[in-house]
Amino acid sequence: MTPLTTLLRLLREWAHRALGEIRPARRDDDLAEELRLHAEMAADDARRRGVPAADAERAARLQAGGVSQAMEAIRDQQGLPLVAGARQDVRLALRTLRATPLVTTVVIGSLALATGANTAIFSLVNSLLLRALPVREPQALVHVTDSVTTDAGVTRVRAWSYPQWDQIRQRPQLFESAAAWSFVQFNRSTGGEARFVDGMWASGSYFDTLGVRALIGRTFSPLDDRSRGGPEGPVAVISYAYWRREFGGEASAIGRTVRLNAVPFTVVGITPPEFFGTEVGRTFDVIVPLSTEALVRGTDSVLASASTNFLTIIARVRPDQPLESAAAALRASQGAIRHATLEPGAPSEPYLDSPFTVVPAATGYSNFRRDYQAPLLVLAAVVALVLLIGCMNVANLLLARATARSHQLSIQLALGASRWRLARQLFSESLMLAGCGAALGLVVARFSGRFLVSQLSAGNDHVFLDLSMDTRVLAFTTTTAAVTALLFGIAPALRAAGARPIDAIKEGGRSSSQRTHGAMAWLVAGQVAMSVVLVTAAGLFIQSFASLVARPLGIDADRILVVTMDSERTAVDAADRLSLYERARDAARSLPNVADASLSFLTPMSGGGFTPRVAVDNGAGDVRVSANDDASGNLIATRWFSTFGTRLVAGRDFSDADRTGAPRVAIVNERFARRFFGSTSPLGRTMTAFAGLPFARRMTVVGVSADAIYAWPHEAVPPTWYMPLQQLDLPEFPLSIVKLSVRAQDGPPLLLRKSLEQAITTVDPHLVLTFQPLSDQWHASLARERLLAQVAGFFGAIALLLAALGLYGVTAYAVSRRRSELGIRLALGAAPRQVMRLVLARTSSLVAAGILAGTAGSVWGSAFVAGLIYGVPAADPLTLAGAALVLVAVGVAASWAPARRAGRIDTGILLREN
Amino acid sequence: MLQGTLDLMVLQTLDTLGPVHGYAIAGRLEQVSSGALQLNMGTLYPALMRLEQRGLVRGAWGATETNRRARFYSLTAAGRRQLAKERESWDRMATIIHTLLRGDA
Repeated sequence: MTPLTTLLRLLREWAHRALGEIRPARRDDDLAEELRLHAEMAADDARRRGVPAADAERAARLQAGGVSQAMEAIRDQQGLPLVAGARQDVRLALRTLRATPLVTTVVIGSLALATGANTAIFSLVNSLLLRALPVREPQALVHVTDSVTTDAGVTRVRAWSYPQWDQIRQRPQLFESAAAWSFVQFNRSTGGEARFVDGMWASGSYFDTLGVRALIGRTFSPLDDRSRGGPEGPVAVISYAYWRREFGGEASAIGRTVRLNAVPFTVVGITPPEFFGTEVGRTFDVIVPLSTEALVRGTDSVLASASTNFLTIIARVRPDQPLESAAAALRASQGAIRHATLEPGAPSEPYLDSPFTVVPAATGYSNFRRDYQAPLLVLAAVVALVLLIGCMNVANLLLARATARSHQLSIQLALGASRWRLARQLFSESLMLAGCGAALGLVVARFSGRFLVSQLSAGNDHVFLDLSMDTRVLAFTTTTAAVTALLFGIAPALRAAGARPIDAIKEGGRSSSQRTHGAMAWLVAGQVAMSVVLVTAAGLFIQSFASLVARPLGIDADRILVVTMDSERTAVDAADRLSLYERARDAARSLPNVADASLSFLTPMSGGGFTPRVAVDNGAGDVRVSANDDASGNLIATRWFSTFGTRLVAGRDFSDADRTGAPRVAIVNERFARRFFGSTSPLGRTMTAFAGLPFARRMTVVGVSADAIYAWPHEAVPPTWYMPLQQLDLPEFPLSIVKLSVRAQDGPPLLLRKSLEQAITTVDPHLVLTFQPLSDQWHASLARERLLAQVAGFFGAIALLLAALGLYGVTAYAVSRRRSELGIRLALGAAPRQVMRLVLARTSSLVAAGILAGTAGSVWGSAFVAGLIYGVPAADPLTLAGAALVLVAVGVAASWAPARRAGRIDTGILLREN
Repeated sequence: MLQGTLDLMVLQTLDTLGPVHGYAIAGRLEQVSSGALQLNMGTLYPALMRLEQRGLVRGAWGATETNRRARFYSLTAAGRRQLAKERESWDRMATIIHTLLRGDA
């Protein structure tokens, strides 16, 4: 027989065995019945041969062998020995776990929570930071940018203007292909309150560059990327989710018309379900060709503007093209591209110098990443610590149980079980616990992941993260389960392997309990240390959030409804837009329950900023020019301050007389006054906006307002200046969008929505309106800090609970172990108080060691969270002391009951027991 | 007993006798070997299980002529093919061994 056939036969044999493992051929009792009948027939034959009835059975047994031996032989050759062993382990483990249902439930529940939280955070990290775009060969994609800078650890990708994209598009030799895209919100209604869908402008090459094909219909191509549309007119490609939502998943959606900002687009295709665009953190409903922007925005189109940077450029490098050579080729054409797109009058030096380059784009573009990378990693650390604490608790429980079972284990050893076999048995229990915990954890993760993402969405800004389970998430959870099993299973398994047969003879195997207790003590001290870190983190994030919430805004945010008015679709000339807005404002003012209303270019907390350079003449010919953005501006109408409830501390408000042609005026806030005018009064002094530009405007300060929040609650109120909207005479400012802020007399301002919509559409039915209460914006701007405070607070509490359980367990265990010793002390005249002190002393040394280590850990870790915390120093001594105190309190509370029990040991009962 | 021969013997027995129960197989083998081959259950039944799992024999509960319950084994089509193959290779091997031992070559 050749070795090959031997091998084949062996393989077949094992394949059969494996098959038998999956579907056991017959039930055991069926087999046993057959064997019993065989033995009977043998006995019958023996009788027939004349053997006396009494000996027949014995003779038959001799001839045919025993039933159970035969069963054993059959089992041996059926199935795989290893699998069969594992099966036995699992059966045993199941039996042990079922024997203590409460412990098992608590362990599995806490593991499910901890593994679930870890999986949830990991799936967020995965989809935000790790996962490649679901497109063809994402590794070959790059973003085109200039000087590579990082912001909060995330590479910043520059936005480009259309003329610049046009230059890159005209150089097909640079890349295999390139595309440009931008996020945009389209309005589906034609007037009145807006109904937004998330959209994208994308160049005709977008889908080809990504290698994304339509699920149904077709994607668009450069042929469609014309300002009036291609052969089929303006076309749109819609997402799978939007298709299901808006068209009920009917194939007839192809060829239908969707109106975007009132312009009809023909739906030509639907993208595959997994494709969410190229921006991680967002998804899209519709994608339309970039050139149709001109059709949609008409005179407000930005395609011709070299200074409106709104496009992200993504390119696919050729297979033979390393990143550096792609960047080098790009830089070679830099001069030509820059000169072709230079804006007249703009400062040119830095613009020309910063070198073009490419950065890997496999994981897509994301604004969201910059805001959430650090918080997510912090949360990942928090939940990892919680898992560790949970593991230590489980280890303690199992260790205590292994000790309680040491007698049984010693007997097993004495009967000939191998140490390896015992360790494996205990370890399979741990593995079962971790496995069940992880399986339930996947369910927990699914819900908590969605909850976390929903916490981040606010208003019209929908956060989308693809949280579907992929192999990476599953691998993470499996690894977590395995590692946790190892963490809490190793101590009891070692304990079992170290059991001695001789202990079976001694009562209870008391000799090795001291060692076990030492291990448990270390685990509890570790738990306390990690709890200190978590409680400190929770304290910091909660204080930070509370301090942001408590920060005086300087405006009455609860009373105000912000109406965004978009006049792009109206028939009104750009020059007459302001008077249209004023008519809308007057209509709003005349409504019942409206206390006041005013117009502005920006509203507080909208996230945007307006920071042109200002020069301030401080009287004695000394001119101070604002640096980059240390002075923030806004364009406002009359009664803006009274609408927002901001006090004017000096001078006057703007009036209707402050119009074009009248002397230019300005109002500054107190901070601005202090920063630029020092202790002298700014009233009557002059300042220049757009300093250094051809359209610089010189204004006289006529009022000083109290400080009020500008863009973010996180930053201090910046020096702020205001100029009258009515005096803005710059064609660069088409004012296609203006905010109308309405102050409600009482009640929630959102109740004004219907009456406002009615009143404003009467003024012009083509004005597009969006309503948002200011308090919602404030709420949304704190989403990140709220999330951190919530999650850290929740898990801080869980950590405390787990630590308390651990401390209670280890103290109670120590008391029960030392029961006779303590009883003897009491009998010899020790006061109960002394005995209690004895017990508490041990626990307090554990807690003290834990607190010391934890405080050191917190101080070390504070550097990582410093950027996420407001209003408290990251290594705040008060918070650290508070966390330590909390742990002391928990330690006392957890060990008090066992210690009291120690003081009340009844020596009489003790004597009778022994 | 030569390894692998038990399977062949069981298959051949089933081919000769038709559907029979395990005890009959053991009896038949004892009879043809003039008592030299006494199979106990721990040898016979693992072999039957193995053959059944491979799909070479099929077992079904039935009644004996003395109206006892017993599990009857019969050859499947695959079992018949396997038997032919093993019989042929056995013959060849036997010839070789025979030749070798007699030194005829």
